[in-house]
Parts: sequence; structure tokens; C-alpha cells
Amino acid sequence: MEPITGKALILAASAIGAGLAMIAGIGPGIGQGYAAGKGAEGVGRQPEAQGDITRTMLLGAAVAETTGIYGLIIALILLFANPLIGLL
Amino acid sequence: MENTNFIIQFLEWLMSFDRAAVILAATAIGTGLAMIAGIGPGIGQGFAAGKGAEAVSYNPKTSKQVTTVMLLGAAVAETSGILSLVIALIMLYGNPMVNLSGGAIVIAASAIGAGLSMIAGIGPGIGQGYAAGKSTEMTGKRPKHQSSIVRTMFLGQAVAQTTGIYAMIIALVLMFANPLINLL
Repeated sequence: MEPITGKALILAASAIGAGLAMIAGIGPGIGQGYAAGKGAEGVGRQPEAQGDITRTMLLGAAVAETTGIYGLIIALILLFANPLIGLL
Repeated sequence: MENTNFIIQFLEWLMSFDRAAVILAATAIGTGLAMIAGIGPGIGQGFAAGKGAEAVSYNPKTSKQVTTVMLLGAAVAETSGILSLVIALIMLYGNPMVNLSGGAIVIAASAIGAGLSMIAGIGPGIGQGYAAGKSTEMTGKRPKHQSSIVRTMFLGQAVAQTTGIYAMIIALVLMFANPLINLL
């Protein structure tokens, strides 16, 4: 077995870190699902207001998406533009 | 005799690396852990969005007011996610730990601990989102009372934020003023 270098250790830990960062996706998934459910409920109750309801739902869901995107950005930084290697 | 304690073996293997490598590796894991806090705002803001859709369906005329309150509440619920993002970015681009002298294992564990601490952001995120959702619902029902509803919402959200701030203080202490290193 070839010896593991310090760089390899950082890269391995970066892979773990990138995976951990994506756990944040749980939240937007649950939240937006709730919003979609309430949106469907609202349209069923008041079909003529479908446009307004969908707009409010999508606006709120877009805000709920942000933290998932933050997690994705950190994961992508760890994978493709890892600043930690340069500090070694 | 062969040492069969695997934790000791693992730590000895870890210490065979360059100290900077160990600290940076721990930083990478800590960065990922910090971002887990994003669960909270995601759930909370989604709840607010759902209540917004519900309120508009009950009373489509209040659509504008409902949307305003929903966005205000969701913006506050976002705080914990932003704090985690800031801590993660500091760890990646302004890492204060790699140049510290002292036990590498302590500094590495502090990097992971700082990330773990930020997970607390889940709580304020969900709680503030719930407050935002309920305020959105009530604004739809009684649009006249919008200002007092929003004021109460902000007050409650400020209290809900406290534990997230405590977590950030601990993370910052671990990163910038680590008291453990001097104890070694």
C-alpha cells in the first residue's frame, strides 16, 4: 500500500465534509413539500385564486430553497475549488 | 506486543501526518457539519410558504399583505443559515486555526467542534419559520392588525434566535480564542 500523504488526508476529509454539507437538503425538502401541500389544499378550496396561490407558494418555496443552495455551494467549493490544499 | 486499541492506533496514524494536514482535514469536515444548520431555515421557511398559500386561498384580496409578512418572517428565519454559511466560509478562506501552535489534535478537534456547534441553527430556523407561518396566516385572516402581528412575530423570533447566537459564540471562541490549546 502506498503511503497516505497529508494532501490525501485533506482530500479525503473534504469528501466527507462535502457529503455532510449536503445533509442540509433535508430542510428545504420538508419545508417546500409542506408548502406544496398547502398550495394544493388552497387551490382545491378556492380554484379561481389559483394564480395568486401559486405565486405565493413559489415565492415562499424559493426562499426556503436558499439554505439548500448554500450547502451545495460549500460542497462544490470543497470538491472543485478546495482552498484548504493551498494552505498546506 | 501489538497495540490492539484501534482508537489509539487511529490517533497515532493521524499524528503521523503533517500537523497542518490534520488541521485542514478537520476543517473540511467542520465546514460540512456547519452547513447542516441549513435544515432549519429550509423547514421553517417552507412552513411559512405553505401558510402563505393557505392564507391567500382563504382571502385572495390580502395576497399582497400576506406575501409581505411571509417574506419578512422568512428573512428572519434565514439568519441561522447565513451565520452557518459565514462560519463555513471563514473556515475555508480565512482559516485562523492552521497557523496556531500547540497540540494539532486539539486544534483539529476544535475545527470539528466549531462545525458541530453551528448545527444548533436548525432550531431557530424551524422556530422562526413557524412564527412567520402563523403570522402570515393571521395577516390573511385579519389584515387590519398586520403591524401588531408583525411586531409580535419579530419579538418572538428575536428570542428564538438566542440559542443560535450562543452556538455561534462557541464556534467563534473555538476558532479564534481557543482556551484549550493553552491547557495542554
